Amino acid sequence: MTYERGLALCLLVEIALFSAIGWNFFTAGNAGEIVRASAEVGLLALALTPVILTGGIDLSVGSLLGLCAVVLGVTWRDAGWPVPVAAAAAVLAGVAGGGLNALLVARMGIPPLIVTLGTYSLFRGLAEGITAGVRSYSDFPAPFLTLGQGAVGPLPSQLFVVGAGAVGFWLLVHRMAVGRTLRAIGFSPDGTRYAGVPVGWRLAAVYLLSGLCAGVAALLYVSRLGQAKADAGTGFELMAITAVVLGGTSIFGGHGGVGGTLLGLATLAVLQNGLRLADLPAELAGMVTATLLLAALGANRVLEGRSRA
Amino acid sequence: MSRARRHWAMLVLVLGAAACGGGAGGGGERPLTVAMMPKNKGNPYFASCRTGAEEAAKELGVRLLWDGPTETDPAKQNEVVEAWITRGVDAIAVSVENKEAISTVLRKARGRGIKVIAWDADAEPDARDYFVNQATPRGIAETLVSHAARLLGGKGDFAVITASLTAANQNEWLRQIRAVLAEKHPDLKLVDVRPSDDDRRRAFEETQTLLKVHPQVRLIMAIASPAVPGAAEAVKQSGRTDVRVTGLGLPNDARPYLKDGVLDSAVLWNTKDLGYLTMHAAHALAKGTLKPGVTSLPAGRLGTVKVDGDQVILGTPFTFTKDNVDQFDF
Repeated sequence: MTYERGLALCLLVEIALFSAIGWNFFTAGNAGEIVRASAEVGLLALALTPVILTGGIDLSVGSLLGLCAVVLGVTWRDAGWPVPVAAAAAVLAGVAGGGLNALLVARMGIPPLIVTLGTYSLFRGLAEGITAGVRSYSDFPAPFLTLGQGAVGPLPSQLFVVGAGAVGFWLLVHRMAVGRTLRAIGFSPDGTRYAGVPVGWRLAAVYLLSGLCAGVAALLYVSRLGQAKADAGTGFELMAITAVVLGGTSIFGGHGGVGGTLLGLATLAVLQNGLRLADLPAELAGMVTATLLLAALGANRVLEGRSRA
Repeated sequence: MSRARRHWAMLVLVLGAAACGGGAGGGGERPLTVAMMPKNKGNPYFASCRTGAEEAAKELGVRLLWDGPTETDPAKQNEVVEAWITRGVDAIAVSVENKEAISTVLRKARGRGIKVIAWDADAEPDARDYFVNQATPRGIAETLVSHAARLLGGKGDFAVITASLTAANQNEWLRQIRAVLAEKHPDLKLVDVRPSDDDRRRAFEETQTLLKVHPQVRLIMAIASPAVPGAAEAVKQSGRTDVRVTGLGLPNDARPYLKDGVLDSAVLWNTKDLGYLTMHAAHALAKGTLKPGVTSLPAGRLGTVKVDGDQVILGTPFTFTKDNVDQFDF
């Protein structure tokens, strides 16, 4: 049994368990709510998958989401731009933030952990500075809010955004030659460079994509809550990284993929939602997540060892 | 059986079992379920509210769900409410951290026929049915002035340490304090109002200055919670045993100074009663006895409580003294 099949089974057991002990858990409406609540972290996790495949990390995505949310609010309400233009500005701010990470990682060769730890504080600091930490933006027009609160039939609108993102990243990582070079960088950046791959450009691209996704996630977040504030997306980077790592992508790079990330994300999202519907304290989620993560990765080690033997 | 087919069989089996178990708790006579959310689960202030809510839930035979954020992510309150809507509760009572954001989801809850109460901190008026208000500015002012009148024997000068000179809550309280003075205690004179900027050290320094500039002042009234220990410490260090302190503050801050005798009293509301009343209001709202036009609400051991428009009023503020402060821990 592969790691991903094992994780899928784990997810099914989780669903069966919460269906038995939760209220209204196994309903189409609740499935929609789960998607809605996990869409932003989902987008970030998808974007982090190629980043982590190259052996890198991006800790700044949650803060960048907050900065993009603030940019949306400022350009729309304070500068009086129409919402679509303000939304484009917010996404551009995400790309610019990703570009800064890309420049520092790919051009200057500073380790991604250090770069994004820095920009993690920088982006949140900028967002707080622009709003003095307290101003918040609300009363967005209804058409914009349908992005986060609307649905097409039983399908929440976020599903289409995250679905498109998932297909895009799956193609990138698993169906294009670029995807293979990303893994190769994860195994050995120098080896890949000697093989003639433009490693710097590849790295720059994954950090730019990560910034782009933070910008789009900011739109989803603001339209879901109906409010843009500097503390938007606090802690999302760790949730996204947890989803990626639980999904079987190696934190050292090289191994893993988009399918695993989606499974990891679903496992975490169902857990959070199920605990609430079963009237169990949500604090349990932290402990169960830790147990799952350690057990799953421990099992993966054992499986790997066996397949090698 | 091929490998793929075996996987499908397993999927069908698990989901089938899930669907069978899906009716958990459905059907039959079920107790009313009220979901209550604090701003923050880890805050002892709300832990104290919870004990009151649990007491009322037991009396009323209501099932109480108590959940809320343990971290600072502002979307968390929304997610908890979303889950409660899906779960299907009868009433939701929220102490609002983030007004605009939570109101969106509270409106959705109302749209699904769930009764919504805001307590402790209000949501937007159209996002909830009632607000359980722990204390009106007038009530706070009356209680504070009555302590001042008692301590000064109905005549004399006092000074106020406020939060900042622009703080909206404090200025409303000051306005009410002046109104109560004019109506009931014309011989009490408010001689000075100094800012503390919600900072204990600043309150300490301002109080020292006050005691020098106005040596005739016999009472300091600190109307911001960090200002209470700050002012009390300054009076204590000055050695002036003829000056007393009262104010609006938290029991844990006030405790040492209440025991010392420097601080006479700290006014706030009874947090246990706040939780208790909120549960009663949610129950009455879900049962349909609390509805527009109602002007009073029977609330167990609190007796009959006043309902003013869409607000349920907890009543006169509570005064912490050296005799009762040990019953509270927040």
